[in-house]
Amino acid sequence: MKNKLKVYRAMHNLTQEQLADKINVSRQTVIAIENDKYLPTLGLAFKIANLFKVKIEDIFSYEENNEN
Amino acid sequence: MDRKKYKQMRVFIAFFVGLIVSIASTRGSYLLAVAGVVTGMVFMALVRSKVKIPTDERELAIQEKAARMAYAIFAPTLGIASFLLLLPSKGGISVFSKGEWLYIESLGMVFAYLALFLIIIYAISYHFFNKKLGGGGNEK
Repeated sequence: MKNKLKVYRAMHNLTQEQLADKINVSRQTVIAIENDKYLPTLGLAFKIANLFKVKIEDIFSYEENNEN
Repeated sequence: MDRKKYKQMRVFIAFFVGLIVSIASTRGSYLLAVAGVVTGMVFMALVRSKVKIPTDERELAIQEKAARMAYAIFAPTLGIASFLLLLPSKGGISVFSKGEWLYIESLGMVFAYLALFLIIIYAISYHFFNKKLGGGGNEK
């Protein structure tokens, strides 16, 4: 799974801390998602997509390898 | 109170409880130790009630993995240890004197029951979460 969270965060001028507060997770979780170390749950993925007002697939894209 | 401050407070309370318990143990006062621990628990509950901690799903995932690994290591270790401790007493191997046998066998029994208890808790919680998360039914 690849994601463009960093790009969308930058587009909305949000820091990792601010984004973490908005989606009710820790900053470490945001960092882990951005670095493809952690796959968010479907609920969190929807939350992120809703926050940026885009579809989930605009932020997250599926790839066969490196699943956690 | 934010998460960072909450963590600092937790460390401070743990330090305070540790200090009280160490003072109590040097003085031999069980009452002081109990009072210290209870005070620490009350303060911890108070601090926790003041802070809004977001449920962090990554932390939950880490806890799940850590718990799974702990179970996977601890259950066989307990089982094998209890087996090894009980085996000589059944086989009649005279490595220990008669008095020592009692302790070794008792320890083996304790380990065996602990392993059993652990497996039962796992089975019950597995059954509970399986039902809760929609498994176990045979609806089409």
